[in-house]
Amino acid sequence: MTVVQFNPLTSTVSPSLWHALTKLKIDVLKLSQDTVPISASYSAGRTVTDRETGTDVPLPSTLTVAGEAFEATTTLPSHSVSALGVLKNFNTIEEFKAADKQALFNDVAQEIWNSIKSSPDPSKDLSRFLLITFADLKKYKFYYWFAFPAFISKPAWEIEESGWQTAEDNLGRGALESIFTSAQSLGGSSTPAFFLARPSSIPSEYETAPLGQYATFFANTAQSSRIVAFLDPSAHPQHPGWPLRNALFYISYLHSLSPHSAQPLRLSVLCLRDSELPGPEKPWKSRFGIVSLPLAPGASAPLEEGGARPAAVGWEKNTLGKLAPRMADLAPMMDPTQLADQAV
Amino acid sequence: MHAIQSHYWAVRDYLSPVLRESKFKEHGRITPDEFVAAGDFLAYKFPVWSWEKGEASKAKEYLPADKQYLVTRGVPCLRRATSLAYTDADEDAEQLLSVGPEFGTQGKEDEWVQTHSGRTTTDNAANPGDIDEIPDDDFVHEHGASGLSRGVANMSIGGSGGHVEAPTPDLDDIPDMEEEGLEEAEDDAAAAPTVIEAKDVEVARGNLLQVRTYDVMITYDKYYQTPRIWLLGYDENGVPLTPPQIFQDVSADHALKTVTIEAFPHSATLQAASVHPCKHASVMKKVIERMNTSVVEEQRKAVGGKPATSPSSDPSKRSKWLGGVVRKVTGGSSSGTPTSPTPTASSSAPGGGEAGLEDVEGMRVDFYLVVFLKFIASIVPTIEVDSTTAF
Repeated sequence: MTVVQFNPLTSTVSPSLWHALTKLKIDVLKLSQDTVPISASYSAGRTVTDRETGTDVPLPSTLTVAGEAFEATTTLPSHSVSALGVLKNFNTIEEFKAADKQALFNDVAQEIWNSIKSSPDPSKDLSRFLLITFADLKKYKFYYWFAFPAFISKPAWEIEESGWQTAEDNLGRGALESIFTSAQSLGGSSTPAFFLARPSSIPSEYETAPLGQYATFFANTAQSSRIVAFLDPSAHPQHPGWPLRNALFYISYLHSLSPHSAQPLRLSVLCLRDSELPGPEKPWKSRFGIVSLPLAPGASAPLEEGGARPAAVGWEKNTLGKLAPRMADLAPMMDPTQLADQAV
Repeated sequence: MHAIQSHYWAVRDYLSPVLRESKFKEHGRITPDEFVAAGDFLAYKFPVWSWEKGEASKAKEYLPADKQYLVTRGVPCLRRATSLAYTDADEDAEQLLSVGPEFGTQGKEDEWVQTHSGRTTTDNAANPGDIDEIPDDDFVHEHGASGLSRGVANMSIGGSGGHVEAPTPDLDDIPDMEEEGLEEAEDDAAAAPTVIEAKDVEVARGNLLQVRTYDVMITYDKYYQTPRIWLLGYDENGVPLTPPQIFQDVSADHALKTVTIEAFPHSATLQAASVHPCKHASVMKKVIERMNTSVVEEQRKAVGGKPATSPSSDPSKRSKWLGGVVRKVTGGSSSGTPTSPTPTASSSAPGGGEAGLEDVEGMRVDFYLVVFLKFIASIVPTIEVDSTTAF
């Protein structure tokens, strides 16, 4: 049994967001440093086939923030799910540096925790994020730092020795198709970020339900048949994506409240990495694993209702792998003098 | 200077009339309605493409408010086009590539030449780290170091050549803000920080894989009456690419000539790399003609007694192709016959089999953008904009 390791989310910020932020800063925010709500999206991790070598290259999905992130209603790109967050822009680089980042991080973590504790379906809050920025409008440089808070589960979730395997081998094509189509109708027209699946009364057919219905939906389902599925932005064969972390934490929280909390918890996890039904000749890219939560030594219930907010992690590392902000230098794309040099 | 030029283009664009008449077979140009129809078809057939409305203040009135331009995000770009420099020796490696049954045609005549297949990139294997090479250097060296000619060389292309090296984001500029104490809690459950495992990104035949992603937009250019492609690139860490970096992904024939950084028409401030559309119409005309010609030949064979042995499962689509040729041959095409299909017709296009030989419609304008993407793929060979090959 090894600890489940999650592939951290990374961010991709469209240059149009910086244009939108510039506009927002000048026209609306001015000197205000209040947080503003912001939306982003991510999709399933992909593998692309290299045309030259024929090998498959994993291409994880990133949390993409587009230019219309500040608008109240945004159209999601196809096959994507939305993630909500807050943006806090600082007026000076000194304030940006000196900011109490842990407090800001904790605020977002607290919101996720509140949602886990009290919301009937916390799905949309499980992938909340924080973005702090400093916009150097004169130099067209934007300093930014994302955080994707995820709660640390104690004890940690473990994966069976067999590791993560292809979902096709474990569940079979028919079952996957059934889960996929059922999930699509569950999420309107696209796959929801998280959902539950169990075998239905019809053989080889599956039913799905929102994550929030965990207790009722799985009430009469054997542990071995319980499937927790999520849209997986990771493309790594052995590491599921970051969003699963809070989903599993939510389930462990529910488990700790249930009368069976003294028993260990065991679940099947489906990492959905197919955004559409693959063709008849093409394999499914989704992964499948059986994870379990060992009992915490000394304590029968790892979490208690109304207890303190558990510790969370999730600051994005910069391009050098350090815990530090990133910078987008848009001078080559925005500075009139540099653009003039490009002109033919 | 550039600003003046941009304003001139804006005025010219404003004054030029909206194309009303369907001309796509004669000139390779399309009307806004046809752009919408072709876009609807593209978005229907390949859902990675979707319509965007853009900024309301920049909306073009000749396009529907919610269908201003097409966008697809996160298009992978595995290696740099500069590592694909195409030489005569590579000609042997050219492969005929079938356009595929979605056009309802089969046979040798419809095959495209795929120029970059299976080449051994030996020179790159010798020095694998050489991806960032700047082709302009050779020019300067070859033309000697004598003051004047070098100065001239720098004048003409050096503005870009000198630029290529400079503006990679200077990491020193980022204030040292690493925060050690930020995450005290030990975290076993986070995977190693490698976004892509090293073993997965193998050094493929001497070419280092640097997976970039692109946001690709297709707008309608009113002046040239063609679609226009726009590129926004990100490196493997999600950092926006600088123009010189983007030019690495453009084939050498086109970088800095037809691909330039321009103001994106649906945003007040955004700048993006764009393929200049001045030659689009003539290239598209050639491609479309070529396809029609091949159908003529097939048709003659069919008329000569042999039944059409196309394995295409959709004979109606085929008859539309033939129909287009018939009308072209009989010269009835330039009289403004109503060809622009409505968006609803286009959305049913892939399966719509109502038309017989009498109902001549020609090459559906819906295919325009599919063909257009194949053309664009030749300009940016390593950016996988042409998702249509998957079919």
